Amino acid sequence: MSDTSSSKRSAFDRRAFMAGAAGSALVPITARAATEEAKAPAAQDPSLPVEVTLHVNGKDKRLRIDARTTVLDALRDHLKLTGSKKGCDHGQCGACTVLIDDRRVVSCLTLALAAEGQEITTIEGLATDDRLHPMQQAFVDNDAFQCGYCTPGQIMSAVACVKEGHAGSEADIREYMSGNICRCAAYPNIVAAVKQAAPEIMKG
Amino acid sequence: MTAAAPSPKANMGQPVPRYDAAAKVTGRATYASDMPLDNPAYAFLLTSAIAKGRIDRFDLDDAKRVRGVIEIVTHENAPKLKESKLFSNGGYAGTTIQPLKSADIAHDGQIIAVVVAESYEAAREAANRVKVSYTATAPSASFDSPGTTTAAAKGQNAQFKEDPAVGDFAKAFDAAEVKLTAAYDTPTQHHNPMELFSTSCAWMGDNLVIYEGSQFVYGLKNGVAEQLGIDADKVRVVNPYVGGGFGSRGSMTPRTAIIAGIAKRLGRPIKLVPTRDQGFTITTHRAETRQEIKLGANRDGKLLALRHEGAEVSSRADAYCVGGTKTTTRLYACPNVDSLVSIVRADRNTPGFMRSPPEVPYLFALESAMDALAVKLNMDPVELRRINDTTNEPIGGKPYTSRSLMACFDEAAKAFGWAQRSPQPKSMSDGDWLIGYGCAATCYPTQMGPSAARVRLQRDGRTRVEIAGHEIGTGAYTVIAQTAAERLGVPLEKVAVFMGDSDLPPAPVAGGSNSTASTCSAVMMVCDQIRQRLFKAAMPAQSLTDRAKETVGLGQTPATQAAKGDRPLDIEKAFDALGVGVVEEYGEWKPEGAPLDSFRAMHNGQVRLVGGHAMKDQIAYAFGAEFVEVRVNRFTHEIRCPRLVGAFAAGRIMNPRTARSQLMGGLIWGMSSALLEATEIDERNARYVNDNLADYLVPVNADVAGVEVILLSEQDDRINPVGVKGLGELANVGTNAAICNAIHHATGQRIRKLPVRLENIEV
Repeated sequence: MSDTSSSKRSAFDRRAFMAGAAGSALVPITARAATEEAKAPAAQDPSLPVEVTLHVNGKDKRLRIDARTTVLDALRDHLKLTGSKKGCDHGQCGACTVLIDDRRVVSCLTLALAAEGQEITTIEGLATDDRLHPMQQAFVDNDAFQCGYCTPGQIMSAVACVKEGHAGSEADIREYMSGNICRCAAYPNIVAAVKQAAPEIMKG
Repeated sequence: MTAAAPSPKANMGQPVPRYDAAAKVTGRATYASDMPLDNPAYAFLLTSAIAKGRIDRFDLDDAKRVRGVIEIVTHENAPKLKESKLFSNGGYAGTTIQPLKSADIAHDGQIIAVVVAESYEAAREAANRVKVSYTATAPSASFDSPGTTTAAAKGQNAQFKEDPAVGDFAKAFDAAEVKLTAAYDTPTQHHNPMELFSTSCAWMGDNLVIYEGSQFVYGLKNGVAEQLGIDADKVRVVNPYVGGGFGSRGSMTPRTAIIAGIAKRLGRPIKLVPTRDQGFTITTHRAETRQEIKLGANRDGKLLALRHEGAEVSSRADAYCVGGTKTTTRLYACPNVDSLVSIVRADRNTPGFMRSPPEVPYLFALESAMDALAVKLNMDPVELRRINDTTNEPIGGKPYTSRSLMACFDEAAKAFGWAQRSPQPKSMSDGDWLIGYGCAATCYPTQMGPSAARVRLQRDGRTRVEIAGHEIGTGAYTVIAQTAAERLGVPLEKVAVFMGDSDLPPAPVAGGSNSTASTCSAVMMVCDQIRQRLFKAAMPAQSLTDRAKETVGLGQTPATQAAKGDRPLDIEKAFDALGVGVVEEYGEWKPEGAPLDSFRAMHNGQVRLVGGHAMKDQIAYAFGAEFVEVRVNRFTHEIRCPRLVGAFAAGRIMNPRTARSQLMGGLIWGMSSALLEATEIDERNARYVNDNLADYLVPVNADVAGVEVILLSEQDDRINPVGVKGLGELANVGTNAAICNAIHHATGQRIRKLPVRLENIEV
């Protein structure tokens, strides 16, 4: 892994990846990020590691990983960013929610290779200069969590929910926050937190 | 104040924000699988595809060819582990079914192999390539399956000591003017905490560190040591944060010692993150029950006879049961009571505690029956409870230490608008929606266990509290910090709390809603030891013990926190007099009536909870009343629950914010147990079918509309030094009955089988 400050924006080619993963020797797995060394064998044997550069919280992170690694596992096991949580690995619970190019996605169902060149924002990238993001502060103020395991995903989802324009009413918030399960059931407090933070986030 | 932070009433602490709030909103809170490991190998479990039979052979060739595979562990080459006894028989385990010991299969989803590889992806692929040949026999899945055996719980479960009974039930029931007999079914349920059942094991020489979400680090430490055959002092369990427990992490599961053994053999840390579906079979669950209630009353509603019979499913290996009759036979005044709990053995994994284990299923039956009786009597169900309210439990005649049941009913009824209810079923509607109001009582035993704590105070007021308690989302860090700050009179922000580590002084299991009562009593006692030392130094001439007991505040506490007559002590002067920079005290606290071996058991990781109905001269319970509005669509039969109102009295409320949140979550759990949650079982294969978070229905945000929690002021000096009854398991009891009672009110249909889904409604 290495950090570079430049943001390389290589577009990932889904078809090339599919072909590569299926074992075709003709198409390299990643167009620009992979080194020559990793590229050739990767196309022959999908179980060999590939190189990928992820742009996480404003920094480029270069990784050598199994091609099947999800964004979630790349963050947790390879980048030591363990704020994003694994609750189901099936896209059913939302604990792994991160922003990719400002859209909320379940990182357990997103391959790291597919996120190359895109901007990934995790819970660790939300606070600035030790000041909590308004949504984080609102979760504290409204006691919007208990065990805290779903909380990073809830907060990332909540930030996107507001930016999508889905925080206009309590009913809207409830509906558009329903992809994130909280087993402790802090739901009414989560709704209150989103309501509190929404105006400040929309202001900019 | 926001709704999240209700103003404290009498005998309530301040609603300060959570101690761990910043860590939890920034992603810095580290759960088991977040802990960094040095060059870990990754484990992936393979679980049985049959429920009964044996493994004939494994074909591992294909799996071993996967690049990065290190080892595949089956019963043929697994590390040898010692057997562990069930927690209720003096052991630590939640099941005595020990996987990887032989070729035998005791239940579907039993661990049959562990694949270890350089990456998670390789371990998973290899596990999928293992071929297993079985000889399967037809399993018994549940009630009504051929091949199950049924026997009374008494005599086979060490913790089920009696089938409570008093008077002459048969005669009284026979003679009663109004009678009711009804059967109730509750389903299998799985805890599904958000954190998966991850375990990481790392050895440093002979010392083992386990990172695993646990509700009982001392139990896990001692249990794993016993299985590995090593000294318990060589095992350390670390989990500063636990991603939900709900009972699933209270007792040891087989996975931990297995992973520890493999890590030892490989000489490398191993990280296991089981899948969500594996979590359904490698831990425990709430067993399905079948119950029957008989109530006999006179025309005025006075209960004369009550009989409660319950049957619960357990595994072939273990006689687990929850036996909720200990509570339901004591809730109301009734002179003639009978009960019987039996256990049905099937080819299943052993069930275990799940949030309010006895009360959720058993109060569903009782509180549904009480509502039905009220209808028979043409009486307001609240009034029926009032008529049968009691200060003494009927079985042994012991007095409740305090009991605010009817105060809870009255407060909640007022907030809910119960007076607006028209009593006739099907008499309220709003367009296409039939409206029903329902209510039920809740109660939960007050329990305490022996606990130790270490507290260190510096002359600048900085305080460090060490206790191997557990933060499972309850607010444990917060209330322990508040206790120390109040007792020592130091500002809250100067208190640091360390928990979730078995190297710290022992605390009881975070179960049975005992944590706050036990840990805060211990912390309070140790803080008092510090105060005594300081007072002895600062005021050598004064009478020490009494003075120290009466005096709160070491100089910096706000006046509001000091009790009447207290006076502050200059902390710096006291330190000067002592001639030290730090005062540190360790202490061990045990509740009144705790057995003689309490402290030894505490260090050995064995549970010695006392309280509830099992106290010598009294009985201690927390109480509450819950009111719900249900709407049933007359065409689609869709069921909605727009309002849940609960009023609760549980002794001292340490922090109204964390208390409200926990009770709110409990009410939603209660709603869920009525309308959503059930593990479906394929009866042919004794297999859980909906073993994922899309098919096992838990509430999402859109399922929850109005939830109101009312905290009643209650003082009870007879239970424990902090006066806390515990409320983590109070709110999700009775809600299921309240909802079915409301459905009856809306539709005229009495539903006695949970969960209620739209296909069960016949409008």
